[in-house]
Amino acid sequence: MEKSNYKTIVFSALTIILNLLIIRFSFRFLGQDLKSIIGFGKLGSISVFTGRTIFILACLGLAGSIFPLVRRLEKFINLSFFVTAFVAVATLILWAGIDSKFDIVGLLALSLRLSTPIVLGALSGILCERTGVINIAIEGMMLTAACIGFTAALYLGNIWLGLICAVVSGAVMSLLHAFLSVTMITDQIISGTVINILAVGLTGFIRRSFLIRARLSRTAILPIITVPLLAKIPIIGAIIFTNQPIVFMMMGLVALITILLFKTRWGLRTRSIGEHPEAADTVGINVFKMKYQNVMLGGMLAGLAGAWFSLETTGSFDDLMTNGKGFIALAAMIFGKWHPVGAFTGGLIFGFSDALQIIFQIKGIPIPPQFLWMLPYLITMVVLAGVIGKSTPPAADGKPYIKR
Amino acid sequence: MKKVLLLALSILLLSCITLYAEGTREEEEVGMKVGLVTDVGKVDDKTFNQFAYEGMMRAAEEFDLKADYIETLQPTDYEKNIQTFAEEGYDIIVTVGFMLTDATVMMAEKYPDIYFTGVDQFYPEPLPNTMGLLFSEDQSGFVAGALAAMMTETDVIGIVAGMEIPPVIKFRKGYENGAKYINPGIKVLGVYIDSFTAPDRGKAAAEAQIAEGADVIFGAGGPTGSGGIVAAMEKGVYGIGVDQDEYYTTMGGGPAPYLLSSAMKRVDNAVYTGVKAAVEGTFEGGHWFGNAANDGIGYAPFHDTESKVPGRVKDKLDEIIRMLGDGSLETGVTL
Repeated sequence: MEKSNYKTIVFSALTIILNLLIIRFSFRFLGQDLKSIIGFGKLGSISVFTGRTIFILACLGLAGSIFPLVRRLEKFINLSFFVTAFVAVATLILWAGIDSKFDIVGLLALSLRLSTPIVLGALSGILCERTGVINIAIEGMMLTAACIGFTAALYLGNIWLGLICAVVSGAVMSLLHAFLSVTMITDQIISGTVINILAVGLTGFIRRSFLIRARLSRTAILPIITVPLLAKIPIIGAIIFTNQPIVFMMMGLVALITILLFKTRWGLRTRSIGEHPEAADTVGINVFKMKYQNVMLGGMLAGLAGAWFSLETTGSFDDLMTNGKGFIALAAMIFGKWHPVGAFTGGLIFGFSDALQIIFQIKGIPIPPQFLWMLPYLITMVVLAGVIGKSTPPAADGKPYIKR
Repeated sequence: MKKVLLLALSILLLSCITLYAEGTREEEEVGMKVGLVTDVGKVDDKTFNQFAYEGMMRAAEEFDLKADYIETLQPTDYEKNIQTFAEEGYDIIVTVGFMLTDATVMMAEKYPDIYFTGVDQFYPEPLPNTMGLLFSEDQSGFVAGALAAMMTETDVIGIVAGMEIPPVIKFRKGYENGAKYINPGIKVLGVYIDSFTAPDRGKAAAEAQIAEGADVIFGAGGPTGSGGIVAAMEKGVYGIGVDQDEYYTTMGGGPAPYLLSSAMKRVDNAVYTGVKAAVEGTFEGGHWFGNAANDGIGYAPFHDTESKVPGRVKDKLDEIIRMLGDGSLETGVTL
């Protein structure tokens, strides 16, 4: 109790300082008659006085962060964190929107799209780690799937077949991981690293021998699907219901895996293996089978994430094109406390900060882009530090199960 | 069981390696040996590394050299890969990319009898055995900017740049200045992306620029920039490639009705020049600068947009190249 009080005070102090800084920042604009234009897609746009709006928002944020401190209400500490984060982001957007329209709908749509591979990768990590297998090979599985999916789409002449091949190739890579870490009881980190390195070599080889030599380099990309009726809903329609297939699948899978993990027998078994495999075994659950099953399902999700790069986004394959997203996915998974919805939120934050960074650069806002790239990691660290709830991995995560 | 499996696997792998080695062994003995170390990437990556490789191979054929390459998997391997060539007794080592500068200098100090030539590398204190191959990317970008400014209808153009390192910065500033040389009132939107291998993010950046009204996108940063060009092609606005003719690489030889041209950086000519100097004994420590005057930079053919680009635009571009070459026009880019 004593320790958590101390944490609350330090954390509240930080949010209060941040809000005070934002108030100080708003003085820059208060003297001038500057207006920010915020666009809402096809709904039109509103324009507000920059300085005053930022000032009012920051005052609310300040109140929100002082409140839990005065009342010693620790459960409101989350609230103060999110209020402050909202105020900070809104301030940046208002700043960027001075005299040139800042389209919120475009920003959110872009965030959702950029977060897709991260969320899928995080879901893959959740399935594996909930059964006690650490999977740092998500990056390698994604890269392999991006390559195989693209190659298959070119040679088979059908992009949907390519998508299926990508998912299957993710499963094959994860089978290797399951074999090494479950059957051979190799250190799971080493097995994952090996797969990541293997993927770089394998995809480089495939690209060189089947793609470049055959002078093949491009394919069509997966079509944009507009959901009838729903797409007409203002704002949400443009952000959620007008997207490419893998984005839809990602959102569906978040819901599906949440239900499967927490509402079904399979989910209960999965979680029990991740927490205490001996106990699970004692009650008759086939631990090895479940581990294989879940790691392979995880591989399929990583495969889908890989297809996002080559088949849904660029319509080409480049060396190393997954570019570390598989590792960012792990950060999103930890941020989300090994829960699909949490991972979705984590992925969105990464996608959002990347989208924000791109738009800020275009608008010429003098914030170094590196700062925004850094932001999600900073937030993940705050989560890891246990300030806003604790992030604890499954108890038997990473420990091989040896049947006695 | 486990041991047997492992043993079987290792034997299989070893035999694969031997088979591969059999297939690629060079039988003939030749004079000098030249080795090339790529940046993270491959010699047929259709960008930078490939062009350096082609330059080396052209020199190797002409002067009958034994030529080999090592593809770098990760930045921590730069030194190790260079050292491999040095210890195998290679006479000339080509290192490709700005990122290999430090490793190249270090190895050049260690092996003073080997010639080192590095693409995109600037040495503050050049050794007698190092030759940096530098380009006036600003001139190349300037030409691209001028082309974009003459082709835009919205007077808004964009650039999707890779990592914020000197050659990329010079491309971007050159592009901006070139566009303003044609039309001082033009708006140039720009984004740096902190990776050269992120076409998805490059594409997102280009789409955001197109949403802001840009109708010409210059993709300057390897596959990341190519992602930007792909976005332009999809949205039906013009794209301009970089480093080499992206009509053949990113667009796979066409059709590409919206690819205007590419701002070329003749890495092949540069590497050829460096290797040639070493072979002919004219190698001097210092730098070689590729620019409009010595065919170090230029722009690619229009290909499928040939008919859309008016003759006066083409004349103007040639005039700009000529003026940049003889010094009567300067890009005004300083780092």
